[in-house]
Amino acid sequence: MSQEPLPRHRGGPRHLARVVAAMWRLGIAEAMAYRAAMLIWILTTTFPLVSLALWHSLAEAGPIGDYGSADFVAYFVAAFLIRQLTASWVVWDLAAQIGSGDLSTLLMRPVHPLLHHLMSNLAALPVRMLLAAPLGVVVLIFAGEVRVDPGLHLLLAPLAVLLAWLLNLCVQICVACLAFWLTSSTYLFELWLGLYMVLSGYAVPTSLFPAGLAAVVRYLPFHAALGFPVELTIGRLSGPELAVGFALQLLWLAVFGALALWLWRRGLRAYGAVGA
Amino acid sequence: MSAGRGAGYYLRLVGGQLRMSVLAALQYRLGFWTEGILGILWSALGMAPLLIAVEHQGAVVGWSGWELVVLTGCFTLISGLFGALIQPALNESMNHIRRGTLDYVLLRPADALVLCLVTAFAPWRLIEALGGLGLIVAGLGQLGRAPSGLELLSALGMGLAGVLALYAVGVLILCASFRAVQLQNLTFLMEALLDFARWPAQVFRGFLRMVFTFVIPLAVMTTYPAEALLGRLAGGTVVTAMATSVGLMVVARLLWTRSLRGYTSASS
Repeated sequence: MSQEPLPRHRGGPRHLARVVAAMWRLGIAEAMAYRAAMLIWILTTTFPLVSLALWHSLAEAGPIGDYGSADFVAYFVAAFLIRQLTASWVVWDLAAQIGSGDLSTLLMRPVHPLLHHLMSNLAALPVRMLLAAPLGVVVLIFAGEVRVDPGLHLLLAPLAVLLAWLLNLCVQICVACLAFWLTSSTYLFELWLGLYMVLSGYAVPTSLFPAGLAAVVRYLPFHAALGFPVELTIGRLSGPELAVGFALQLLWLAVFGALALWLWRRGLRAYGAVGA
Repeated sequence: MSAGRGAGYYLRLVGGQLRMSVLAALQYRLGFWTEGILGILWSALGMAPLLIAVEHQGAVVGWSGWELVVLTGCFTLISGLFGALIQPALNESMNHIRRGTLDYVLLRPADALVLCLVTAFAPWRLIEALGGLGLIVAGLGQLGRAPSGLELLSALGMGLAGVLALYAVGVLILCASFRAVQLQNLTFLMEALLDFARWPAQVFRGFLRMVFTFVIPLAVMTTYPAEALLGRLAGGTVVTAMATSVGLMVVARLLWTRSLRGYTSASS
């Protein structure tokens, strides 16, 4: 394995397309098999909906920053749904496979192991949305007062969500690859997650941070992974802010994407040396 | 199975398990940093939303800055106790249930639920609890308030009721894990929910208020003890809160007995 660790795709693009389709079906089957676990996971991520109740009632005494009660409803419902759409869990699976040696099985297959994980994450999205979207709609109906002005920005939202998803994926692959050298790489991911909860705009919009702090926080990858797509979707960003947001997303994606690939290559060499 | 065993026996049992966990924890001194100190840092970081609310509004639903410090102290104390006593035991017991090794626990000559709840402790997390105590003292000091004996007593009672309620919710989660595997997520859910105990219960209205007072009584865990210390908890609330916790524990105990009957061990 030390010379050429990456299995090559056999055949042409049609073969690849068939393989990808098969992995998609596999991923959906897996997602359906663990419905209960997924439902609980979704319940865990209803956190923004409780935050919604909280900030909504706080804002009744008067707007907080530039957020009134109705703005908080739009913000947190969007945050809830976008968190569902951009979630991935490569880090747990991949780190466990590296730790246990199960990765060897994946390496034997004529498909890139990362492609396998990518598809298995992507395939769970429809199931996840099926479970989460009704919840979001119910909350919107009960809250009653939402302002989402339809506009061109809604066309850009899918792009921002896609970039955020890729960013999360790359970060997780980076941390998971550390398992090639460390035994507790998932612990490092929990550190990342802890920071994400506070700094991404998951618990409170980052624009409400004290001015100096907000300026810094909004440049970090956490905000690119959640806060930016959320603010874009609910139409709070002007043209130049949109440009800066997308630029930051692309920048962080390039950084973590390159790091992920580099760590993966280096890691496979270390992995091969252990006797795989 | 618990017939004939007195309270002294169980106290010795809990003491023995605690001692073993402490000895194990002392072996891994890195835990002081990864569990103890980081626990405090997480608690501090989690305060960000509350701080932002204070910055924008001055007082949050009638709680002034230093009163919120007392509340945060109560939260940090409870969260440290949860991390040190409840969470490790829950995770370990769920592993037992999943792998079928609960058999070995059931065979022992003591109450299985007690054994499950003392099966593991994480002593380093108690550092966080100590930090919480520090915050409470600092907050009360800044407010220039010395709680009377009765107030201290009711705060203590509320704190105990809160811990009891946490244990009850934990047992309910254990019961659920007899039914479905892969429920590790549930303790994360509990942790995420516990995070909302940072806020004064008055922030929540209607449905959520009911849930957080009677079903998953976050209010009993942090708001009531803090209010008792600040001398504005009504006597009636003390009684209701106690009743809620005891009621939850009874329900949890009954469900546990039922679930245990449905447990198919590794061998059968």
